[in-house]
Amino acid sequence: MGAASAAVDTSVGQGLGGKYLTFSLGKEEYGIVITKVREIIGIMEITAVPHTPDFIKGVINLRGRVIPIVELRMKFGMELKAYDDRTCIIVVDVPGPTGTVQVGMLVDSVSEVMNIASQDIEPPPDFGVTTDAENIIGMGKIKGKLKILLDVDRVIGRTLASSLASLK
Amino acid sequence: MADKSEALIAAQLDEMALKIMMVEPGDLSVVGELVVLVEGLQGLAGIDKYPALRKMGLALRAVIGQIVMTELPDSAENYERLGQCIGQMQEVYRKHGEDEAAEKSFALVISQIGYVPLSEDEGEVVKGATTEDPPPTANGPQSAAARHKSAKAVAKAAGASGGAPQGLRILESPPVEAMEFLQDPELLTGFVGETLEHLESIEVNVLELEDNPGDLEIVNKIFRPFHTIKGVAGFLNLKSVQRLAHSTENLLDDVRNGVHAMDAQVIDVVLKVGDFLKTMVENLKSVLTDGPEQYKNYDISDYVAWVETVQTGSSTGGGAESVAAAASVSAATPPDIIVPGRSSGEGVDGDPGFTPSTARGPGAPQKAAVGDSIKVDVEKLDGLVNAVGELVIMQTMVRSNPKIAVLSDPKLIKDFAQLARITSELQKTAMSMRMVPIRQTFQKMIRLVRDLSKKTGKEVNLVMEGEETEIDRNMVDSIYDPLVHMMRNSVDHGVQPPAEREKMGKPRSGTVNLRAYQKGGNMVIEIEDDGQGLNTEKIRRKAIERGLIQDSDKSSSYELNNLIFLPGFSTADQITDVSGRGVGMDVVKKAVEKLRGKVEAISEPGKGSLFVIRLPLTMAIIDGIIVRVGSERYIIPTTAIQESLKPRPENYNTVQGKGETLMVRGAVLPIIRLYKLFQVEPVYTDPCEAIVVVVEYEGRQRAIMVDELLGKQEVVIKNLGGLSDIPGVAGGTILGDGRVGLILDLAGIVQSHSGHGVVEEAGEA
Repeated sequence: MGAASAAVDTSVGQGLGGKYLTFSLGKEEYGIVITKVREIIGIMEITAVPHTPDFIKGVINLRGRVIPIVELRMKFGMELKAYDDRTCIIVVDVPGPTGTVQVGMLVDSVSEVMNIASQDIEPPPDFGVTTDAENIIGMGKIKGKLKILLDVDRVIGRTLASSLASLK
Repeated sequence: MADKSEALIAAQLDEMALKIMMVEPGDLSVVGELVVLVEGLQGLAGIDKYPALRKMGLALRAVIGQIVMTELPDSAENYERLGQCIGQMQEVYRKHGEDEAAEKSFALVISQIGYVPLSEDEGEVVKGATTEDPPPTANGPQSAAARHKSAKAVAKAAGASGGAPQGLRILESPPVEAMEFLQDPELLTGFVGETLEHLESIEVNVLELEDNPGDLEIVNKIFRPFHTIKGVAGFLNLKSVQRLAHSTENLLDDVRNGVHAMDAQVIDVVLKVGDFLKTMVENLKSVLTDGPEQYKNYDISDYVAWVETVQTGSSTGGGAESVAAAASVSAATPPDIIVPGRSSGEGVDGDPGFTPSTARGPGAPQKAAVGDSIKVDVEKLDGLVNAVGELVIMQTMVRSNPKIAVLSDPKLIKDFAQLARITSELQKTAMSMRMVPIRQTFQKMIRLVRDLSKKTGKEVNLVMEGEETEIDRNMVDSIYDPLVHMMRNSVDHGVQPPAEREKMGKPRSGTVNLRAYQKGGNMVIEIEDDGQGLNTEKIRRKAIERGLIQDSDKSSSYELNNLIFLPGFSTADQITDVSGRGVGMDVVKKAVEKLRGKVEAISEPGKGSLFVIRLPLTMAIIDGIIVRVGSERYIIPTTAIQESLKPRPENYNTVQGKGETLMVRGAVLPIIRLYKLFQVEPVYTDPCEAIVVVVEYEGRQRAIMVDELLGKQEVVIKNLGGLSDIPGVAGGTILGDGRVGLILDLAGIVQSHSGHGVVEEAGEA
C-alpha cells in the first residue's frame, strides 16, 4: 500500500484531513485522496474485454499503455447513464497483484480539488446490510454538503484482484 | 475409455522422467522438485489401481531422500540409475501395472544405488565404498556429528583412490554473526554475479582445452578466473570458496609451469570443482535473496583432498592414475556401458570421442572481439523499450491526425519523414539492446554432449554454427530445456554406437550439428544428426494403434514423422529401445509453442534427422492477423493459423443440433463462434456468410468464425494493466488508430470452447 493510504488508514477522523479530488455520480458527491490520482482524461473509445465482471468496462490506450476502466456506477449498482462531454476517466494508482497498476474510473463529472480538514470528516455511517460501507473511509462535510470519501485501494484494487481470481 | 486419472499418472511419470534428465550432481534444488513430483504421483487418485507403481514410488522417494540427506552419493551414476528406475515405472504403467520383468529390474537398479527395503533389513544401509562408516539409519534422522564423520571417511577414501568425491556434504552453519561476508551485501552481490560468469568461462575454456591440450594460453585463461575468485573470496572472508579456489589454482599453476601434465584427470578436477563452486555461489545468491538461514556450510575437505592428490600424483604417472580412476568409476557403472578408448595418441584419454568444434569462416579470428559493455538494470531497459514503443505509436498518430494530414507543406512532409526514420531507428536499437547472442546457451550444450557421449559410449562431434545469432533475452531461459531435450534425443536415439556406424559404412564418430540463424523475421535453430533417423514405419503403426490416423491414411513420411510431437507419443518405444526414458516430444513442442514458435522434424531413415525450431525474434512483438467481429477487432497469432476460408453450405454440419462442424480438406473441425464466446454483437450469424480461420493448437484444429479479415500486422504485445489470466485473451496491443485490440490466446479459446459442451474429435484422451 502506498504511503498515502497508510496515512489514511490511521484512526478515523485523525489524520484524514488533506486534499481530495471530488467527483459526482448522479446526485452523490465523492472524494478520493489526491495523491492516488495520476491524471484525469476525457472519455475515449473503450475496448471491451470478455470474461470480466460487468463493472470492468474494458481497456483503453493511455499513451501506449493499456489500462482497465472501471465503470463506477455499475460497481456501486447505480443506474447507468449515457456518456456526455462531462464524463471523465480518473486514472488512479492502486496495488495490483504485481506492484502498482493504473486503473481508470469512469465518473459522471469531476468537480474540484478541495482541502478537507480532519475535524470535518466523520466516520462512515452504519448502513446495515444494504450498503457496503467497507469502501468508505469517512464522510466529509463541506458547507453543509456531504462528500463520500472512498478508499480507492479497496474499491478498485481489491475488487479487481478478487473478481479476476474468481474467473480462474 | 481412457480414464482421466490414468492420463494424470502418465503425465506425472513423464514429468518425472523429464526432471531426472535435468538433475546434475550437486544441484539439490532440482532433486527437491523431483521429490515433489514423486510425492505428487503417490497422491494421484488412480494410483491405487497400480499397487506395483505405488510400491516403486515409495522406494524411489526413500532413495531420493537418502541422496538429499547425503546418506547416498549425490553422483551422476546414481541419477542415471534413478532415470532407469523411472523408465521402469513408465514401463509398468504401460503394461497396465503388470510387468514383472520391469519390476525386477527396478529392484535391481535401485539396490545398486544403495536402497534396501525397510521390511527386509532393520534399516541398515550397506554402502559399497564406505563400509567402515557407522551404519546410518535409512529413515531416522542422523546426528550432524555422525554425518560429518562419514564425510571425513569418504574424504579419506577419496584421497586414497584419487577418485572424485561423491556428492556434497553440508556442515553445521556458523551463527549469523560469524558470517562476515554478509556485512557488505552489495559487494557480495557483485561477487556472486562475477563468479558465476567466471565459472562459465572456466567451463568453456576447459572444454576447449580438451581439444588443444597443449595450449598454455587456454590454461592461463582458466588460471586467471580462479585467481580472481580466490582473491575476492579472501577479501569477503568466504574461507571455503577461497581455499578450494586456491588449491585448484595451485594445481593449474603446476600445469602452467610444466610440473604437471594437463591430463584428463586435471580436466575432470577443474570441471567438478567448477560445479562445486557454482553450487556454493548459487547458495550465497539465495542467502542474499532469502536471508542468512539459507546458508549452507559446504564441506570442501574431500574436494581439497582430491585436488591435492591429483596435484601430488607424479606427472608421468598421471596417465596410469587416470586409468585407475576411470576403472574405479566404471566399476560403479553398470557393465553394459562400455567406454571405448581413443586410438589416437593425443594424450587426452578418458573422453571417448567427444570433440566440440565450431565452424568458422576461413581466417576468422578464434574468438570474436568483445566490445566494451556496461551492465544495465533489466527494468530500466524494459522501460526504455516501452517508452520508445509509445513514441512510435504517437508519431504515427500525430501524422495521421486529419488536420495535419491535409497540410502539404514540403518542409513539414520532409521533417515527418525524417522523424519517422529516427523513431524507427531508435526502436530498432532499443529492441536490439534486449537481444543477446545465443552463444551462452549453445556453450552449455558442449558440456551436455560431452557428458552424454561419455555416458552412452558413443563418439559424437558437436559442430556449432551461428552462435552470434541474437535472441530476446527473455527467451533464453525458456529455450534451454527444449534444446537440452532435443540434443539428448539426437545423441541418445539418433547417433548409433561406433561399431554399428562402422558396419553401415559411416565414420565412427557421429556428428551433431547445432545451428542458429535468422531468416525472414524468425530465429531458426536446427539440430541435425547423421544417425539412424526416425523409424517412419514404426511411427505409422503406433499412430494407427493410438487411433491418430486411419489404416488407409496416405500421409507423407514428413507428416508421419511430425506425429512424434503429439502428446502420448513417447520416443522410447517407437524409435529406439536404448533408453527407457519415455519423455515425449510433445514437451518440446509445448515449450516452443509457448514462445510462439514452431518445431518440425525432417528425417531420412539411416541418414539422420533434422529438427528445426522457428522462433520469433522477440517476445515483445507478435505477427498477427487482425480480424473483426462486430465492432471489435482481435489479433490471431499467425503461427497458429493454417488457413482462412468462406465455408460452403455442403461442408457445414451440426451434431445433435448443438455442436457445429465444418469439413475442411477431409477433416471435420468444430466451429467456434467467436462472438458467442466473447459476447459481442456480430454482423453475420450464418457461418456461410462469415469467414472462418482454421487454427491449430496442440495438434487440435478449430475453425474460428469471424466477420472479416482486416489484414496482417506486426503488433507490440502489452499486458492489460491489472487484468490478467482472462480465458482466451493473451494480451492487448495498440492498433493504428490508437484503440486497443485484444490478442487471442488459442489455448484458452480451445479450452473454454471445449467446456461449453461441444463434441470433441474422436481419438482424444
